[in-house]
Amino acid sequence: MRFVLIVFFAITLGATSYAQDRFTVSGYVTDSSSGEALIGASVFIREIGKGVPTNTYGFYSVTLPGGTYTFVTRYIGFQDAERTVQLTADTKLNLDLKPTVVQIKAVEVVKEKRKSNTESTDMGRIDVDVQKLNTLPALLGEVDILKVIQFLPGVKSNGEGNSGFYVRGGGPDQNLILLDEATVYNASHLFGFFSVFNADAVKNLELIKGGMPANYGGRTSSVLDITMKEGNDQGLHGQGGIGLISSRLTLEGPLIKDRSSFVVSGRRTYVDVITKPFLKNNANFGGTNYYFYDLNAKANYRISDKDRLYLSGYFGRDVFDLGSSDPGDPQFRIPWGNATVAGRWNHVFGPKLFMNTTATFSDYQFEFNGGQSDFAFKLFSGIKDYGLKVDLSQYPSVRHSLKYGGQYIFHKYTPSTVSVESGDTQFNIDEPSKLLAHEVAVYALDEFDVSDRIRLNGGLRLTMFAQVGPFKEYVLDAQGEPTGELITYGGGKAVKSYAGLEPRLSMRYRLDEMSSLKASVNRNLQYVHLASFSSIALPTDVWVPTGKNVKPQVGIQYAAGYFHDFKERAYEGSVEVYYKDMQNLIEYKEGAQPQDNGNTNYDANLVFGNGYSYGAELFLKKRTGRLNGWVGYTWSKTMRKFPDLNQGREFPSRWDRRHDLSVVAAYELNKRWSFGATFTYQTGQAVTLPVNRYWIEGRLVSEFTERNGYRMAPYHRLDLAATLINKDMKKVVNKTTGEVTQVPRKYRSSWTFSIYNAYNRANPYFIYFDNTGNLATGDLQVVAKQVSLFSVLPSITWNIKF
Amino acid sequence: MPSPTSTSLLRKLILSALVAITLISCEKEVVVDLPMTEAKLVVEGTIEKGLPPIVLLTRTQSYFAPTDLNSIASIFVNGAQITVNDGTSTVTLQEIGFTGLTQEQLAQAAELTGIDPALLQNITVYSLLDGSMIGESGRTYTLNVQGDGRSCSAVTTIPNVVPWDSTWWRLAEQNADDDSSGYIWGRLSDPDTMGNGYRHYARRIYSADPDFIEDTRFISPLGTTFDDKYLNGLTVDLFAVRGRSPFTDNSNDETAGYFLRGDSVIMKLVSMGQREANFYTTYDNNVASAGDLFSTPANARGNITGGLGIWAGWAAYYDTLVCE
Repeated sequence: MRFVLIVFFAITLGATSYAQDRFTVSGYVTDSSSGEALIGASVFIREIGKGVPTNTYGFYSVTLPGGTYTFVTRYIGFQDAERTVQLTADTKLNLDLKPTVVQIKAVEVVKEKRKSNTESTDMGRIDVDVQKLNTLPALLGEVDILKVIQFLPGVKSNGEGNSGFYVRGGGPDQNLILLDEATVYNASHLFGFFSVFNADAVKNLELIKGGMPANYGGRTSSVLDITMKEGNDQGLHGQGGIGLISSRLTLEGPLIKDRSSFVVSGRRTYVDVITKPFLKNNANFGGTNYYFYDLNAKANYRISDKDRLYLSGYFGRDVFDLGSSDPGDPQFRIPWGNATVAGRWNHVFGPKLFMNTTATFSDYQFEFNGGQSDFAFKLFSGIKDYGLKVDLSQYPSVRHSLKYGGQYIFHKYTPSTVSVESGDTQFNIDEPSKLLAHEVAVYALDEFDVSDRIRLNGGLRLTMFAQVGPFKEYVLDAQGEPTGELITYGGGKAVKSYAGLEPRLSMRYRLDEMSSLKASVNRNLQYVHLASFSSIALPTDVWVPTGKNVKPQVGIQYAAGYFHDFKERAYEGSVEVYYKDMQNLIEYKEGAQPQDNGNTNYDANLVFGNGYSYGAELFLKKRTGRLNGWVGYTWSKTMRKFPDLNQGREFPSRWDRRHDLSVVAAYELNKRWSFGATFTYQTGQAVTLPVNRYWIEGRLVSEFTERNGYRMAPYHRLDLAATLINKDMKKVVNKTTGEVTQVPRKYRSSWTFSIYNAYNRANPYFIYFDNTGNLATGDLQVVAKQVSLFSVLPSITWNIKF
Repeated sequence: MPSPTSTSLLRKLILSALVAITLISCEKEVVVDLPMTEAKLVVEGTIEKGLPPIVLLTRTQSYFAPTDLNSIASIFVNGAQITVNDGTSTVTLQEIGFTGLTQEQLAQAAELTGIDPALLQNITVYSLLDGSMIGESGRTYTLNVQGDGRSCSAVTTIPNVVPWDSTWWRLAEQNADDDSSGYIWGRLSDPDTMGNGYRHYARRIYSADPDFIEDTRFISPLGTTFDDKYLNGLTVDLFAVRGRSPFTDNSNDETAGYFLRGDSVIMKLVSMGQREANFYTTYDNNVASAGDLFSTPANARGNITGGLGIWAGWAAYYDTLVCE
């Protein structure tokens, strides 16, 4: 890795040394009211008609010939800042932007990172300004950033109320979810109904669903890069809310003014507290209890203009107790959750070279405890990552923007570990080996203007993955049963290793000022898989690393699109088509159960196959005005083929939806009232239903023939929201003079009224076949039943900012 | 013996919890348009140590076909040619009908075949009445079936009997004021060789409960099949709830699941091979969950080549327990 970095340095230093009469302007763009870095702000140089965006840390750099230039800095929701610069030497120019409005305002919810949709080489790259999501309707009033993403073309949700998302036919494990650059393995609470991201603690969110640049890797479908708030370094502020099922509170403020700040945020559900009195005496649910909580914390310290430190962390848990008040009945306790820590160091080597070094820790654990009488069952799985990453950004000239770096992750997987006790007897289940692995990546990319019309973003990523001992492997016979023999690998000894190249290329060809064509091709490797027993995101899903039998997933995506802005860029539209080839996917064997994983290899219950997806995505967005929002439509087909499933025949993926339409609209009536509405329509989910039945021991047995061979009814839903913001001024009466003056309030509060599923559509959640009655009495009935979760569901949330 | 991860139980609990949490959920009957496919032969065959082979031969039917007893009876395949080979000789099973029998005779036949009398009088089974082949431990039996214009075959071996070391009844530990409801327990010492499968059956023959209905057959509650993958060579205590016969009107059975103080129960522990046990495990899972999101729907994995179902060599241990 070091060698490669040195080579990069040598190349880039060589490339920049010619620029004798050229000077570099660099600096940070921040929000003047809070000191927060502004991500993706545009720094536009009027004289040359070109601009550069700020990076994730608000840093920008641009190199120009000597002269006088006007720098115009723009960011949505902020006043443009204009500065004239006489360029005779390298210059540091930090830019503060003032917010245009003080109150909460329903401005654009989702915006392009760059000013122009048609300018960049980005395809399928979307930014969400999380602080603006409050005006959109939300399930039970819980603002959820992942659910907003699902309204974008090419992104699909996993059914009713679910925050799981699937990008262009890829599985949920193919999304790289980063929280301040630390991987989050399970982004959902309560079986997927809520995401783990507390919107109050999140500043920015970027989704890359195609054309993944080389600085990202490890997943084949998408990147969801979430940046937590840094904390206001000017004064103590807070925000919070009280909703139907949870409350949240965020505090932020300076540790040292202008130099260091912090933010802490917490959220907890209280359904358990509310329902407990009702459930306590209920025979069926007396032992049932559920809650989740999240804690986010972050601090940063500006050592100097060249060095900044950030430390951030997340901790969240779900705790689910299931059971009746009868201790003779089965009781379950199911806790799970994530923890992440990220420490980062930004260093500006010079005006043209920016470095970010990140050390990360991620932890995901799942536990299932069940018991009845003297019988106890426990299932545990987990994953721990220790990572170190160095990313360098270099801006040699206004035409080139280079990035290069390397990453190392040490993975420690705990595969499904089962223990069973009956009375005093402990069942003979071996403690499975922890799976240890090293993952290394180096990359380089250059985004450069070949000509005024053509911009290229070319990159290469080299990745290596090695599973290492200590590890014991069961020797299996031809039927896949353990023979009793073991192969033992010593500590650090390689069990299996893989390496591969991941070329990434995307390009833009400008047709005219307002329109461009873009194309991209990517090869991505992924060294971890998620093995799932069910078709919803249950925490029983287990992360399985690449090893002797499990090969790395390969994703190859080709995409092309036409992008057009019109009406002075008030509107933007795009048409994208893609084809994605997926290799080495995994599934559990037909009928595998979580408890089958004991006393054999962690991969013994898996089968392997391939898949593909293709589709077309239409997107039309209105960016500005009182009414804004978008319409997205996707036509797509996603198939899987596994030799050991469905008798080797191709079958639709769970995420195969032929049609998917989304409409998102926000309307600002006046300073106090704003409204939001969302609508979605999706082809029904593909599910496996029995076709025939037969009888054994007098019981009805189902015969399944086609995997995912049946479509449930289409899913559609309309949600509405209205937000009322309190007055920003209040009257103060001077007691001595009696004079009435208007002064700004110290806090701003708002009420959000939300209706989920406004026209009460009974959307299918799943279908099951039930038999009621009895053969003996002749009233046996076999029926199909459709379960729907959420009928029309109003909610109210109170939010406050101070 | 119950598997706490039983998917149906988990499904119900998760769903119940969701309902409890969100207070909202609805369920409605829907019409599902399923494709028509060709019927397959279904074998439910056993050869138990000390007993002749017994085969019920049926065919699959479309999922929403009528469910009265006559329709069920119509899926039985008549006129099939079924042979069993024990390695030395081959016998052809006789097709035996039970129409015209008195209730008492039916009960006796039910006793012999393990099939409910209600169903028995409408169907035929394939077996031997002359004792020309009786199951023996250690022997391998090959089944060949020709019927309905199709054929299928299977092979099974009868293992040795594994007895309960002891059996007992214990209160179910719920409300302190209930000193009657309990579960039955058994202590099992698994032989020190891998590959033993077990299936528990019980039949309640007497109860002090005035609403008691005598079980007409041995019933295996769902989730009471297991193998020795995790308990090879161990001595374990296992318990079972009371199963329900699908052929009995048990709508008034208020003590469902429990064996009451004073009940008499015949516990039958069937030993079988791993593959046979694997069928019953997957069968139990299949019966418990019919097409839902909480588990991957899966077929019962039998050992019949060319058909569905099971051909199982059994060695059973019987023990009568008085619940005290």
